[in-house]
Amino acid sequence: MPSQHPDTRTLLIAERDQNVRELQQYFLGEAGFAVEFVDDGQAALERAQLIRPTLIVTEILLPKIDGLALCRRLRDDPLTRDIPVVVFSILAAAGRASEAGANAFLRKPFVESIFVTAIQELIAAQPTGAMEEQWA
Amino acid sequence: MGIAAFPDVDIDSSTGDAERNERMSSGNAEADYILGGGFPADSINIIMGHPGSGKTIFAEQLIFHNAGEGRPILYFTTLSEPLPKVVRYLQGFRFFDEMKLGTQVIYEDVGPQLAKEGAPALIPLLKDAIQTLSPKIIVIDSFKAVHDLAPSVAERRRMVYEMTALLTAYGTTAFLLGEYTEDDILLYPEFAVADGILELSRRRLGNRDERYFRVYKLRGSRYLEGAHAFRITDSGLDIYPRLVSPRIPEGYEPASERISMGVGGLDEMLGGGLWRGTTTLLGGPSGAGKTTIGLQFALEGARCGEPTLYMNFQENPTQLMRTIRGLGFDLEEAQAQGLDLVYASPVELQIDSIIVDMFRRIQQRGVRRLVIDALGDLASAATDPQRLHDYLYALVQHFAVSTITSVLNVETKGNTISGNGMQDAMSYLSDNVLLLTVEGEERTRRTLRVLKTRGSAHDTKVREVEISAAGLSILE
Repeated sequence: MPSQHPDTRTLLIAERDQNVRELQQYFLGEAGFAVEFVDDGQAALERAQLIRPTLIVTEILLPKIDGLALCRRLRDDPLTRDIPVVVFSILAAAGRASEAGANAFLRKPFVESIFVTAIQELIAAQPTGAMEEQWA
Repeated sequence: MGIAAFPDVDIDSSTGDAERNERMSSGNAEADYILGGGFPADSINIIMGHPGSGKTIFAEQLIFHNAGEGRPILYFTTLSEPLPKVVRYLQGFRFFDEMKLGTQVIYEDVGPQLAKEGAPALIPLLKDAIQTLSPKIIVIDSFKAVHDLAPSVAERRRMVYEMTALLTAYGTTAFLLGEYTEDDILLYPEFAVADGILELSRRRLGNRDERYFRVYKLRGSRYLEGAHAFRITDSGLDIYPRLVSPRIPEGYEPASERISMGVGGLDEMLGGGLWRGTTTLLGGPSGAGKTTIGLQFALEGARCGEPTLYMNFQENPTQLMRTIRGLGFDLEEAQAQGLDLVYASPVELQIDSIIVDMFRRIQQRGVRRLVIDALGDLASAATDPQRLHDYLYALVQHFAVSTITSVLNVETKGNTISGNGMQDAMSYLSDNVLLLTVEGEERTRRTLRVLKTRGSAHDTKVREVEISAAGLSILE
């Protein structure tokens, strides 16, 4: 069950492709992360506000709220504006992801050595104070 | 998988495969050229062909080339060939590297499990392989054999769909090998989802076989269409890309320099020699003097210090050297000055390999003069008249753009150059056409006539010629 409390190792992932989910679940699990998946941008926003995950990964092509709009909404909300966001998409949209406020862009398909490393480095790059404040 | 970290975060993309190119080399330079730079990374490709067509060799050349540090390569053998058999024959190829086996190149025989559990077992096998090995390339040999295990069309389609979804989600380049035929492309669902389709084929031609490499489909790529001949050697596939017409460079203008043919009196008949970069068709029956004129033209080039190539399918090297010495030339000196004599037996000729070899020599040596003796041998090596015509047209265009002055000898049946499809086509394509004749019973009488010179006035008379120890010359 998803945690209701801040967890420094919980990642929220908005992804609809079952194969991508399985790969993320497996390799992030191997790296010590807990992963919660949602199907659409609206659910991602609501879960982010509620559980405030360590990091959010989102595809752009999502129903209800697309991944880029999700980034902007997360950045506009004081509760979620400091959570790092990775846009992980089949679309070549690094520029648009940056403009929307994402911290990094990764292009599909999934390669664990790149994906897991990028997430670990983004988390490590977060100021400790900001993390603590976020969890307060 | 591409990565872009935005300015406030410094992600070291050198970990993992972030530096991967968007295209993956096949390990074969000619195949990469045909493919427009290799296979698109993370694509799904089908390599089809009958048994013995070279599919497995092509795939193995590819995997050993790409094996290295980082993620390994996985080769699934299914029901077509047991693993020990695959590896036993693999050892005969120069690209085989035992040090890579088991670490960078991993062979797995999944045949027994597939035979027991059926085609759907492939999906969990792939998932398990991805989780445990993280392969950057996956080869399934034979995928058609897996496909044929599925009991119904619905199950086949489901299996192909699930496999495609998995291989699309994960960053790997996949090669599905199979004994498919062209008709199968419309029947089997894997062809609809494949990003690339290659065919290796073999055609019996008399006592020898001709092999062809063809790309049917390669998404996102400017590939070279058509059939490209190849041979199988201990290096793998030796491919000869089909010759296509060159792009005409911007600002291209024909050369305005005339060069000598090295034949006394002939330059005057041509209005002052040949324009550099032109193609001359030199026709005539056997014994009329074509080879002599060709040699004089080549030796004149060497004398002027021009890299010269003489492609000879008529006389073996010893015969040709004797002829050259008989004309009073020092062969060693001519070769030191830039003459390259190349002999290929017409029996062993494959037009594609000859053309590729010729262009390699032209590029390597910066050839300025060329003689082909004779075109008829190339014609007899070509199985398809249209293919021959396309080759000849492209050849003439390449010579013009590269400013290579060429003389193409052609043997006629009588004292006329028309009446043969290839000769008619070449008369039309060539800038200059010369016709030698030979007649007479008690005394042999040879003549030479200039039938055509493009961009130049010429002597319209039939001139008698003489062949002596000094070569062929025009009589007054």
